[in-house]
Amino acid sequence: MEYSNLRRQIIFMKKNLFDQGYLDEQFNQLEELQDESSPNFVEEVAALFFKDSSRLLTNIEQAIDKYPQDFYRLDSLVQQLKGSGSSIGALRMKNECSVFKANCNDRNLEGCRRSLQKMKREHATLKQKLESYFQLLRQVGPRDYAVSSRK
Amino acid sequence: MARKMIRVLLVEDEEINRVVARAALKAAGGGDVVDEAENGEVAVQRVRDAAAPYDLVLMDKQMPVMDGHEATRRIRGMGVTTPIVAVSSDGLPADVDAFITAGADDFTSKPLSKEKLGVILAKFRLA
Repeated sequence: MEYSNLRRQIIFMKKNLFDQGYLDEQFNQLEELQDESSPNFVEEVAALFFKDSSRLLTNIEQAIDKYPQDFYRLDSLVQQLKGSGSSIGALRMKNECSVFKANCNDRNLEGCRRSLQKMKREHATLKQKLESYFQLLRQVGPRDYAVSSRK
Repeated sequence: MARKMIRVLLVEDEEINRVVARAALKAAGGGDVVDEAENGEVAVQRVRDAAAPYDLVLMDKQMPVMDGHEATRRIRGMGVTTPIVAVSSDGLPADVDAFITAGADDFTSKPLSKEKLGVILAKFRLA
């Protein structure tokens, strides 16, 4: 059945997202908050995250290119990004934010630049993977999404 | 006997964190009335102007205009005894101490979840 295949794909995709370290337990917590009154809750939260994080990454890039560098501001921006990433369970993003913050603390501009590039790559990859995941979920339908999310 | 309505003030500048916290509160059984404040200054105003006292304040640390430490100090300075729970992603001992010194009753880490809020609501007998 096409439906069974879809559900298998969803479970497999989600397992991969966790196994490869893109997501952590917070994503499961979000899925548990989804119900009939808010059937698209997780996708909405993800959309909020990507809206926030895109803006923050742009601001970080602009701040890094300013001279003299304001490491306090950079740290503050990345702290916001880290917090936002934590809310959705974006583990790799969160970890890279910690690396960036350590570079800020050391006033290591080149380290910050490398870290920013990595954050941008992780961000793009996570966005693409989650878009595929949500696309599959939409095909299954909201009622069965709750069942899939238990895995 | 009808359960008392739980009134919560959620103080958090990031929209995504407010959305998640609101949903987690509702799931934990504490989301009857949830007011929001996007920074500490607005939080102090909400507490001062509230028609009825809040049962719980969830206070973020890092916010523009006025941070969570200062907002907590000012709310306590008004003689308000509502439980204030500090929320921060850092959780460093110095952060927790600063919040408790300012007058917070407890601390929990971000991100908020149904489980964490359930513990908080039970601790302050709001569940």
